[in-house]
Amino acid sequence: MDPGAVVELTNASRWYGNVVAVNDISFQLAGGVTGLLGPNGAGKSTILHMVAGFLAPSSGSVTVGGEPSWRHPEMYRRIGLVPEREAVYPFLTGREFAAANARLQGMAPAEAAEAAARAIGLVELDDAADRPIGTYSKGMRQRAKVAAGLVHDPSILLLDEPFNGMDPRQRLHMMDLLHRMAAEGRTILFSSHILEEVERLAGRVLVIVSGRLAASGDFREIRRLMTDRPHTFTLRSSDDRALASALLAESTTAGAALDGGILTVRTNDFGAFSRAVTGIARRHQIRLHELLPTDESLESVFSYLVRR
Amino acid sequence: MNGVIARITLRQLLSRRRTLLLLLLGGVLVLVAGIFRLAGEEARALPFTSGLLGNLGVGTLMPLVALIFGTGAIGAEIEDGTAIFLLAKPISRRTIVLTKLVVAAACSAALTCGPMLLAGLIAAGGLAEGLVPGMVAGAAIGSLLYCAVFVALSLVTGRALVFGLAYVLIWEGLLAGLFAGTRTFSVRQLTLAFADSIGGIPKEIFEAPVSALTAVVIGTFLLVGATLIAIRRLSAYEISGEAA
Repeated sequence: MDPGAVVELTNASRWYGNVVAVNDISFQLAGGVTGLLGPNGAGKSTILHMVAGFLAPSSGSVTVGGEPSWRHPEMYRRIGLVPEREAVYPFLTGREFAAANARLQGMAPAEAAEAAARAIGLVELDDAADRPIGTYSKGMRQRAKVAAGLVHDPSILLLDEPFNGMDPRQRLHMMDLLHRMAAEGRTILFSSHILEEVERLAGRVLVIVSGRLAASGDFREIRRLMTDRPHTFTLRSSDDRALASALLAESTTAGAALDGGILTVRTNDFGAFSRAVTGIARRHQIRLHELLPTDESLESVFSYLVRR
Repeated sequence: MNGVIARITLRQLLSRRRTLLLLLLGGVLVLVAGIFRLAGEEARALPFTSGLLGNLGVGTLMPLVALIFGTGAIGAEIEDGTAIFLLAKPISRRTIVLTKLVVAAACSAALTCGPMLLAGLIAAGGLAEGLVPGMVAGAAIGSLLYCAVFVALSLVTGRALVFGLAYVLIWEGLLAGLFAGTRTFSVRQLTLAFADSIGGIPKEIFEAPVSALTAVVIGTFLLVGATLIAIRRLSAYEISGEAA
């Protein structure tokens, strides 16, 4: 193990019967914010649950602080976990919930009350702290879970889709809070299927697709890979054949096909092509009716990264 | 035992609607006893009370209340996902299981023994030569045994309520009546044996079909075995995950 690594996965796989959820993944985390990015069902939650000790790896190893995370309840002293599922005890107030989590971490009642008040303040839930959680909105429940996760001031924070249900202001506040916690030396691992969330928060990104680690590293590098990939557009114009010929003469066009009356164009430079296409059409006196990128879904971006 | 887990479990189990429903169930027992008393058939008081507490109390009320509380103590939290807040703590799984079991058994015993005591006193007009205290004490032990079985069942299967009900209705209700051998593994029959032994009930009023020694041996085996299974299952608890 890397002496600086706090969380380490080594060739970790997890399968359910014949279905592979996570396939031979290795990475190390040591301080800062890391984002697990991938489409729904990619294996992000499985990885988080293995790190959190709620799933045993089928092969390979998952360690936290050098100890296997599976069947090791003592490690929860240093781990704060914010699960994806919304369910929280509806009969407890936000304050009671945070305090109960502090008490379960072994704090004395007075210390737990103090820690709960601090955690409630950190997630800006003071106004609703004494209301039963059953009356909370989705975003408030989410913040109550975060308060419970950090009430014992953990050195490792694991968050599964933490921004679900939060409004934009709450998201920004939560991101700011996580940034500050990372700056204090904590190791934060969170999952998201939303690129912008990861872009804003994570210094390091692990892209997970179909249970495999498709790419990892600095977010800017991953972003560049995503932007520089081939893009496909469909176009409708007053003269598709002439437009195809004109576009093929340009260096930004990698290929064009006219199939079933639909013009499809491939380019390696999304930005340059988007900017140039209207000028090209105008120069050739072609009326452009429609220009649509066809493969901008996150899934297609991820698929491209996997194929690389 | 963990006080925080006990308090959360207590509040979870004693939700207003569930408690009212179970109190109503216990109320039926008291109501039947009251009707009998009003009918003025005091000569039949002892056999009637024996039948009321043995069949309706131990045979119906006790397993149903224990089934609700036993399967709800951990099973409900696992099902709705709140269990993760207890499990992601530096607390041994043994402490969690034992705390949940004690709370579930205490709730079951309270909502079973209370109505049984009241119904017994009303129907018999007193302690009925050890019948009433014996049945109530037996029901307290029976509640603990049932809860241990149902807590374990809720950690083995997601359909604990269905399997628990099948055990009570088919194994205890049907098979134990047909085949004497199956009575040994019937919590209901063990409870009656405890009741008989603790109350020192005269044979002409009530006689349990299983001996006290068998009840102690099998009861201990059931309690320890079910608790160990529950601890083992919770220690290996995995969150159901996604598959790519």
